[in-house]
Amino acid sequence: MSAARAERGATFGRLPPHEQMVLHYQVEQFLYHEADLLDRRRYREWLELVAEDVHYWMPIRRTVTLREIDREFTRVGDMAYYDDNYSDLRLRVEKLYTGSSWSEDPPSRTRHFVTNVQVTDLEGDLVSVRSAIQLYRSRMEDVSESFCGRREDRLRRHGEGFRLVQRHIYLDHTVIHATNLSSLF
Amino acid sequence: MSAKRERPHGRREIGREEISGWFDGEKGLIDKNIYVDPDIYELELDRLFGRAWNFMCHETHIPAVGDYFITYIGEDQVIAVRDESGIVQVLLNTCTHRGNMLCRAEMGNAKSFHCTYHGWNFGLDGKLLAVPGGANFYRGKLDMEEWSLQKAAKVEHYKGFYFATLDPDAPSLHDYLGEVGRIGIDQMAVHGELVAVDGVQKNVIDCNWKIAVDNLYDWYHVNFSHRSAIRVGFVGSSVMQPMQQMVMLGEYGHAIGGPGISEEQQAELDKLGDEERARLDRMSFEERAKLAPRISERRPIRPKHMKEVMGPVGVRAMGHPNIFPNLWVSTRALQLSLRLPRGPLQTEVWWFTFLPKNYTAEQRRTAMKYMTHSFGPAGLLEQDDGENWTYSTKAALGRVARRRPQNLQMGLGEDEVREDPSGQMSIETRVNEHAQRWHYRCWSDWLRAESWDELKRSKSRVPTGRI
Ligand code: FES
Ligand SMILES: [Fe+2]
Repeated sequence: MSAARAERGATFGRLPPHEQMVLHYQVEQFLYHEADLLDRRRYREWLELVAEDVHYWMPIRRTVTLREIDREFTRVGDMAYYDDNYSDLRLRVEKLYTGSSWSEDPPSRTRHFVTNVQVTDLEGDLVSVRSAIQLYRSRMEDVSESFCGRREDRLRRHGEGFRLVQRHIYLDHTVIHATNLSSLF
Repeated sequence: MSAKRERPHGRREIGREEISGWFDGEKGLIDKNIYVDPDIYELELDRLFGRAWNFMCHETHIPAVGDYFITYIGEDQVIAVRDESGIVQVLLNTCTHRGNMLCRAEMGNAKSFHCTYHGWNFGLDGKLLAVPGGANFYRGKLDMEEWSLQKAAKVEHYKGFYFATLDPDAPSLHDYLGEVGRIGIDQMAVHGELVAVDGVQKNVIDCNWKIAVDNLYDWYHVNFSHRSAIRVGFVGSSVMQPMQQMVMLGEYGHAIGGPGISEEQQAELDKLGDEERARLDRMSFEERAKLAPRISERRPIRPKHMKEVMGPVGVRAMGHPNIFPNLWVSTRALQLSLRLPRGPLQTEVWWFTFLPKNYTAEQRRTAMKYMTHSFGPAGLLEQDDGENWTYSTKAALGRVARRRPQNLQMGLGEDEVREDPSGQMSIETRVNEHAQRWHYRCWSDWLRAESWDELKRSKSRVPTGRI
């Protein structure tokens, strides 16, 4: 087995190539679809793609030496930028519809670029997916921001599609050079 | 410090009279220029950040020998490090050879610090230990003592919270904090032995640091700025703008502003032992309202002994303390926020988080849930703060807009400073801007004074009577 296949998890790697391609295609289409919903500000529709047992998490990254690289990210349970369950995400989404969510009203103009998509594991109906993301955000007349990072997602099969069960976002930034993080990643 | 050393070429001279004109305490007016003028900013770096006690970190951020944490005094980057004898040192993070940044990781553990440029090596106490080619290239003539790292003039802690000052003439940390500053930190110590939670949230906002600071006293904005968080039920509106407000002012510019509980409510609490208090504290607010309607509002219920620690007035103060100039103790009192100056038009906001050592897993989860979701750039509350500060700052760049001062007049002349038999003073009133006015009044004292000696003599005394 090639290193790439081993890396991709035994179960997924054992699938015949055309099944791998189909699953990969379905996963990609799902990721593009939810990114598109966010960029079109259809947050409630986006939330429908989220499972009720979701963990949506963005740890804090630090500049550390290679020798201490295991301390680069904070761990689950320690401080984070996002550490959300479903009801937290629903709060964030509903907040956007209140008419007084000033950080997003007037709304930001966002573009989610999702790329380098890899299915890394398959366990029953759970698919693990790694992707790279760039979130570009333009606000008002003078704000232009860009966030880069890696996402470690888990998707659960749901009918013809998927539901998002885990989204762990590992930003490439230590200090966030932005007024806030009022967008979803 | 001579005026000449303070002002490199090209900076305009700023005289006392000009400084006195920036904030008019009698009218409650602020000159908008103080948020954008680079010369004023430079003066702040010299006379305020260069002189004040600045928060470094908590003892549990750097528990072991060699543990270090990078932070700032104004724009000077410093290393807070525990040296071989267990003492916390604060060293300027700039190599004495050619100035390169010495320690390039923001946290970690080191045996010594190696400069990546030419390899000078410094001990945890800042001593220059070795230079490559010391014998050969420098002919053994380099004075190792002289080229050691520059240290903060003083490093002290209050209840495990470390502060440093660059000015040898600064008073002790204890005296600097004074009663009000100490009560501010006591709000954290209330919870017992604290441990820093791993991870400091950091983000940069395009605003002047003073606007980010004075906002912490502002209980006027919450119902409007944070309306969406209230609407979705993240926080209740009575919590966000309680009618009963209390302000305590402290020398050098410290203050506590926000909700307070009345003497009557405190008298009710005084009847309760710690077990009953803890039980009430754990209850939902609705439950508590039924059981103890007079102490029902959402506030931490302090343990009995805190009345001795904080005093009979201090123990009733539930608002936000600011340790002058830029350290906010959050009202839930398990988080600290630094508002670090990054030029007149930028502020870097840091959030430190703590948990009591003895918390159960459940208490820890509840506390972390609130703290990850309130503040920091993604916080449901703080999300909506930054742009207000950005555009309040930027408007001052307009030539016409700049000429008209900002209004800081709420409650001016309407209230009374009450002195308790214990000597503690408070203003007990409704939503107001007393603490903000005090902040700017003291801020201008700091900028006018040419030395610590002068500041000690000329600083504003805590007002009494009508305010
Ligand atoms: S600049 Fe540090 S060794 Fe030369
Ligand atoms: Fe706010």
